[in-house]
Amino acid sequence: MFNLIRRDVILQKRLLLTFIPFIAFFIIMDAHPALTFLVASIFMPINAFAYDEKAETNILLNSLPYTRKEVIASRYLGAIVYMVSAIGVTSLAFFVFNKPFAITDIAIASGLFLVFSALTFPLFYIFKRGYVSPVVLFSFLFLALIRKPVVSFISEHLTVINNFVASLSITTLYAGAAVVIMTFYAVSWGITTIIYQRKVF
Amino acid sequence: MENVIELKNVTKKFKGFSIKNIDLQVKQGFITGFIGANGAGKSTMIKMMMNLLKPETGEVKIFGLDYKTHEKAIKERIGFVYDGNVFFEGMNLKDIKRIVGPAYKHWDDDLFYQYVEQFELPLNKAMKTFSKGMQMKASLAIALSHHAELIIMDEPTAGLDPIFRRELLDILQELMIDGSRTIFFSTHVTTDLNRIADYIALIQSGELVFNQSIHDIAENYALVKGGTELLDRDTEKDFVHVHRGPTGFEALTDNVKAVKDTFGDTVFIERASLEDIMYYLKGGLQYV
Repeated sequence: MFNLIRRDVILQKRLLLTFIPFIAFFIIMDAHPALTFLVASIFMPINAFAYDEKAETNILLNSLPYTRKEVIASRYLGAIVYMVSAIGVTSLAFFVFNKPFAITDIAIASGLFLVFSALTFPLFYIFKRGYVSPVVLFSFLFLALIRKPVVSFISEHLTVINNFVASLSITTLYAGAAVVIMTFYAVSWGITTIIYQRKVF
Repeated sequence: MENVIELKNVTKKFKGFSIKNIDLQVKQGFITGFIGANGAGKSTMIKMMMNLLKPETGEVKIFGLDYKTHEKAIKERIGFVYDGNVFFEGMNLKDIKRIVGPAYKHWDDDLFYQYVEQFELPLNKAMKTFSKGMQMKASLAIALSHHAELIIMDEPTAGLDPIFRRELLDILQELMIDGSRTIFFSTHVTTDLNRIADYIALIQSGELVFNQSIHDIAENYALVKGGTELLDRDTEKDFVHVHRGPTGFEALTDNVKAVKDTFGDTVFIERASLEDIMYYLKGGLQYV
């Protein structure tokens, strides 16, 4: 299992060299720290899928002594492992550039990353290869663009939800969000496992 | 345990093609060649043996174990070689070894490097720069480096030049020396098999025609040639397929003894090559 997660580092070692300049660019451009953390976290898992989409890779993985459950588990656990390391490296980069960031930024970024992963990972196993990576990339950009209008729409019109959220204490809000996101991630994991077990190569 | 691979009543349907009620046993310690025309179902069968496809009915047992409960234990003992390159094509052999090696409990680095040297493979060049023959050798080196008891290969000789094909067959023969290994490989180049296979399994349109030792095949099957006037409904019954030409008939029999009894010296009986058998079983030339 650990080998399956480590595989991504070996596969992407060249790509990883671009990770630092990539993050540095976001930091220098003064992007919101939460966004920088988010982009940093997404970097590896999404690239990993670009490799995994190929049918041959699935034939290889499933011919090796791994079960299909393990292949999917390595994706979901790996995403968390790589998120944590990406956040570590990015925090370090923030220190080096002497830019401030808050723990809240990390919390928001990791929360968003997990939601994003939970939403997109199953897609990689549903859609035909070759289509998913562009779809995910564009939807990510699209979501980033519509984020502001949506949020302002909600705050203006859906006062009930708004009031409810506002009435919660910060701790409850964060704890609640964490539980919801974790559940969401776990459900996505379960669904992807079922999809993958039924796949034919 | 005698049968390394055991398929019982395996069925799998696709659009316009299906594998029908296949029973197949592959014996331990021998090389079994799996032949059939393109599209006969060879790759599908191999995929079912590797658990890449699941049969609709019937069961697949490898080493007497089933995939449902012993998937890892089974694959731990199989070395696989596929038709195309399944390894990440942008990577070099060293990195591929780093990914594949740790997957196996019995991975042997020394053995791997020994094969790399024997096959003259470059360690630091990307797989996609390899020629077809080198890719094949690389797959083989990986398949052989974890002391697999069963080696399953799908069309390993396809696209290889004759010299390398022979080299490959020699390598396979060497592997069989210790006697415990089993090799199962598909091919449509029947000449490969005459050289090394102990058993031949023939599949046609999703059905297993036979699975016999190469000696039994040579003994049972033959080409029969003679004048058309010898043929009638009774004498024809021992033929699998008859081809009538202007100068006489040519037929394939799977019962040489019966043909000898019926025709005696009036016909010529020749050894049938695997290609003859495949050709006639398929129905020979189709005349309107």
